[in-house]
Amino acid sequence: MKTTKSLYSYTLVWPALAIYTVFFVVPALIGFYYSFTDWRLDRLEISFVGWDNFKRIFTDDTLILAMKNTFIFAIATVIGKNVLGIALAVALNMKLKSRNFLRAIFYSPSILSVLVISIIFTPLLRTEGAVNGILSAIGLSSLNQAWLTDPSIVIWTIAGVSIWQHTGFQMAIYLAGLQSISKDYYEAATIDGAGSWKSFRYITLPLLLPAININLMLTLIGGLKVFSEVFVLTGGGPGNASQVVGTIILRTFGEGAWGLGTAINTLLFVAVTLISIPLLLFMRRKEVAE
Amino acid sequence: MSFNTKRWPALLLSGLLSISLAACGSGSESSSSDSGSSETPGKSSATIELAISKSSQDSPFIDESLLKDFEQETGIKVNLQLLPAEQTATVLQTKLAVNETPDLVQYNLASATTDLNLERNFEILDDEAWVSRLQNKEVLSAYGHVYSFHVSQDTGMQGVVYNKDMFSDLGLEIPETFEEFLAVCEKIKASGVTPVFMPYKDNWAANIWPAAAFANAVADDPNFFDDLNANKKKWTDVPEFVTILEQQYEIFKQGYTNPDVLSDSYDMAVGKFLNKEVAMMFMGDWLIENVAEKDPDMKLGLFAIPSGEGAKLGASPLGGQLFIPKKAKHIEEAKQFLDYIASKEVAQKMVDERGYVSNFNDVTTPELPAYKQEIVDQYITPKKTLLTTDAYMLVDRSELYRALQDQFAGSKTSEQVLQDWNDKFIQLMKDKGIEGF
Repeated sequence: MKTTKSLYSYTLVWPALAIYTVFFVVPALIGFYYSFTDWRLDRLEISFVGWDNFKRIFTDDTLILAMKNTFIFAIATVIGKNVLGIALAVALNMKLKSRNFLRAIFYSPSILSVLVISIIFTPLLRTEGAVNGILSAIGLSSLNQAWLTDPSIVIWTIAGVSIWQHTGFQMAIYLAGLQSISKDYYEAATIDGAGSWKSFRYITLPLLLPAININLMLTLIGGLKVFSEVFVLTGGGPGNASQVVGTIILRTFGEGAWGLGTAINTLLFVAVTLISIPLLLFMRRKEVAE
Repeated sequence: MSFNTKRWPALLLSGLLSISLAACGSGSESSSSDSGSSETPGKSSATIELAISKSSQDSPFIDESLLKDFEQETGIKVNLQLLPAEQTATVLQTKLAVNETPDLVQYNLASATTDLNLERNFEILDDEAWVSRLQNKEVLSAYGHVYSFHVSQDTGMQGVVYNKDMFSDLGLEIPETFEEFLAVCEKIKASGVTPVFMPYKDNWAANIWPAAAFANAVADDPNFFDDLNANKKKWTDVPEFVTILEQQYEIFKQGYTNPDVLSDSYDMAVGKFLNKEVAMMFMGDWLIENVAEKDPDMKLGLFAIPSGEGAKLGASPLGGQLFIPKKAKHIEEAKQFLDYIASKEVAQKMVDERGYVSNFNDVTTPELPAYKQEIVDQYITPKKTLLTTDAYMLVDRSELYRALQDQFAGSKTSEQVLQDWNDKFIQLMKDKGIEGF
């Protein structure tokens, strides 16, 4: 009978749908409208200005720099978090005595507040801080940098801190993925004479694809929406050197340019959607059934 | 069995959801009925709302006994709206925009002109009785009108905060030119102390030197800032501005500062002075007060930024004034509150307790701390002070501060700092709809 097949009535979806509509869909649509206006703190009347806000976004040097930084951060963290995450997961999936202890250690940074991270890393990354101190001590003083105050490397430093913090989280998802892969495949491969690289390449990777998909999406969307790491470590500075789209939105709202701020926000939303949905569809097709 | 166990959590969840929804509903209802009751007109015992940032809780105007005495005398109750410090501007902007205005707002006059659209949102107080007793109307005025209220005229002075003991130990005189200043730095450095502390991770701190020195450089042209704000003059028009920025950078380049100026923040300053690690810093006299709170024996003083000849001490715009929004529901009662504080007795008590420099001609200024008395004698009384550039600005200055950081990061020259700020300034003024841009 039909009633026994579907346990719950679809009407149960209404409360969730209502909340989603009121708190996400409606504000997003209103946002679309306001991004085409000159809505400002100090003006009473709001008028339609067409594409002006968007034209300005693509001609303002600081905004272009912020977009560049956002992409650098997103790509660097996607690669860093996932490559290191898989490597850690594979390593900590082996039969090691300290396995559980090491898993806990690597996971622990991701439960820290980003404010704590900033308090830990800001002194470490000073020019006379511990990072440069260690580099000098092992004879690599040529690698010493003004990590957070040199405009040309500051965004990479922030990406590095973010990778340090979140790799453990990605590792946990990969570990779960690895544990769902049956041992039989590896046994069969060993019998057929496959080495460890070949079993990784032809068994682990394909069967790990669902986990890779999830992690790619999470890290990519998180990377494009980056705000807190930059805000607490540098505030977008020195000057505007480490501004990302998230911090620029805050600054624009602070200047009272609400229409422009909403336009940047809309652009970020569209960019995240346009990048992540095709990627998701592409990766889905690559997944194999076990 | 499994059927049942699965259904229970679902029921529980939907139950919780409906409770939370109901809670939302009743919450909004009760708040709307609240605002309804406060609107009822014609009541003699009105309640006025005073909005103030949580960070300003030591303000004299919200002192509990003051509010109680005021209520006893007039029957008007003052209700406080404490706003989260980092959101004060946003919350007030929103309240003013949607006409949910408080009756009184405490804010800084200079920031109110840039953040809160002073002319549109606030009452002009020129005709109030207390205005005639003011000694210094300027500190409460903008656009030629009195917009705000305070009993104090002590605006806070900006210059070079210095350790007097170190200066006398090394036999140093107060430098009056930039060359003398560099010579002083050299001697202090030779004694093993960092001459100047620059906490430029907080980018506003990089603006203390130029804000006073710029104003000094154009002191001969009384119309300069009016012209600047009307797009008749540009930031790049004054060659001295470049020199002033070069000077500040040179102090850093010569090694007279903490090495990592972009990593050190303002909150480290008090400690640096207490530990006698540094001798000087470009800052306001509030830093002296903060150090004195920790160690009353530290002898710090203030001298003018030695950027050019005849330098004057920079005066910050006065902060922490009270404003009455135009759309306040109880304007008369709010004005009564200002009248009450302005009355001779109440104002005298407040000025005494807080050690203010009185702004009323019938209220006397109490004995000041030594450093403050020195500033009064050496700079204020002989009229050797002038308002910093900040006092004239109609727009947000944080892009200038950021450009100054860029200079210290080595990615901008002084000329580029001024050029970029000039471009940004024009853009901000244009956005704001200022005439001439």
